[in-house]
Amino acid sequence: MPHRNVIIGLLIIVPLALCAVAAPWLAPFDPAKTSIALFQMPSAKFWLGTDQLGRDVLSRVIYGSRVSMLIGTGAAIVSAVIGVPIGLAAGYLGRTVDLLAMQFINLFIALPGLVLALIIIEMTGPSLINIIVVLGFVSWPGVARLVRGQAFAIRESLFVEAARAVGGGAAWIIARHIWPNVFRLVAVQLATVVALAIFTSSSLSFLGLGIPPPTPDWGGMVRDGVDYLTIAPLMSLAPGVAVSLTVAGFYLLGYREE
Amino acid sequence: MLSVVVRRVLLGLPNIVLISLLLFFSVAGALGNPATLMLGLDATPERIAELEHQFGFDRPLLVQYLEWMAHAFQGDFGRSYSTGQRVADILVPRLLPSVELAVLGIVVATTFAVLLSSLTVARRVIRPIVTLLSLIGITVPNFMLGITLIYVFSVALGWLPTSGWSSWSSGIGLHFLHRILPVTTLAAYYFASFGLVYRAEYRATQRRLYIQVARAKGLSETSVSFRHILPNSILPVITQIGSSLGQLAAGSLVTETVFSIPGIGTLFTSALLGRDFPVFLAVGMITIVSVMVMNLLADVLYVVANPQIRLD
Repeated sequence: MPHRNVIIGLLIIVPLALCAVAAPWLAPFDPAKTSIALFQMPSAKFWLGTDQLGRDVLSRVIYGSRVSMLIGTGAAIVSAVIGVPIGLAAGYLGRTVDLLAMQFINLFIALPGLVLALIIIEMTGPSLINIIVVLGFVSWPGVARLVRGQAFAIRESLFVEAARAVGGGAAWIIARHIWPNVFRLVAVQLATVVALAIFTSSSLSFLGLGIPPPTPDWGGMVRDGVDYLTIAPLMSLAPGVAVSLTVAGFYLLGYREE
Repeated sequence: MLSVVVRRVLLGLPNIVLISLLLFFSVAGALGNPATLMLGLDATPERIAELEHQFGFDRPLLVQYLEWMAHAFQGDFGRSYSTGQRVADILVPRLLPSVELAVLGIVVATTFAVLLSSLTVARRVIRPIVTLLSLIGITVPNFMLGITLIYVFSVALGWLPTSGWSSWSSGIGLHFLHRILPVTTLAAYYFASFGLVYRAEYRATQRRLYIQVARAKGLSETSVSFRHILPNSILPVITQIGSSLGQLAAGSLVTETVFSIPGIGTLFTSALLGRDFPVFLAVGMITIVSVMVMNLLADVLYVVANPQIRLD
């Protein structure tokens, strides 16, 4: 039986993922369609009201889930592709490889991810693919450190010693004995990476360096709404709640009992 | 102990140098040709070459880096592209609000995390509240928390100012009124993360023999918790503060933007978006290097404060 936190996480994430997939059918309006009905209060027609261009806030929040999910999962995959091999090599090979890898990992962990992402994205330009790669790039050290610790522990176990005794090379042992035992832990950790990536990417958008408009994106929507907080608070609060819920969902999904 | 400290410093210093190099090179790379940027598109190649030579942009990057560093240590960071002011003059007045925000945030987060987790009276009521607040602190992004607080306390209730950062001269009352929301926003995440670390250590300490002795000699639960468990569980929180400083810089960046605080964070974003590279380079370098230096200090402090580590 999974932990209660994991179940709550799933209860948030599954509907959200469905929402992202089924956005065109769920959204009552075209998220980019402007109208003269500016700053409408919530009504039967516009459940969450409309924004400064007369666009339906609910439809934009629904469509916004797509960008968030894409960035989150994409960044998690990138971080695993970089972090897992480095962690495995450091943990299993040890010595100089480990020392160098840890030095690098600690360097990146100490750096502020958001600041790093801001700098790189300002240089490469804020496209969806750039944001995914950059966020994966800033979150790999966590994955690497976790994998390294686990690989380090497994290296000492009897079955690895046996594999070494029958003449198994490092690459073969890592692939056949270490990785299968690290895999589950990585999968759990990736949920946390997704949470962090969505958190950071929405902060980037909020600061003005996110997915360029008119693609609906939660952080950008919150930013747009700030100036109208007194007349149309839902413009900011609705997408803000959506980001927070999504981050919470993935965070709970990645819950590990220490 | 000395050898451990020396080893930490020797491992830490190359990182600081490496990151400052990386930052300088990537900013220089993104800059393209500053001479073209200054002269505009219709500049003649001769004029560009002349300006490049005049400012030294035609020399190897490593030489430029060393020169920049040498000047930086004397407080000279060049001049802003957009205003022509000396970067140091723009930077210095912005340091105070940022440092104040960060220090208050850390102090508030640590105090509340440690006190609320140590309370033994009414624990059944307090624990779920702490858990909920922690979840909020970890999962609600700073900008959302800030805007929600502004909406509730400034727009709806009208109790607190929405933004700005009144100076000390405008009176202590107003000063602190302006700080309540930003500090809460920044502290929320650290309240959660410090609390998590503290409670884990607290549970471990609770099982120690000397705690049983303290109970056995008839001390009240409150006194056991605050006088015996707390001092013996606080060390990991100090380490956590040290390793959170990078995140803290990022958090202040967003928080300063939400509340329009004239600090380093807002300067950084505006310089980045406005491509004012001398300002951006100075702010980036100072932030990142000071974060790493303080990390190192926290590491060293931990060694000094913990006799168990001193031995090996």
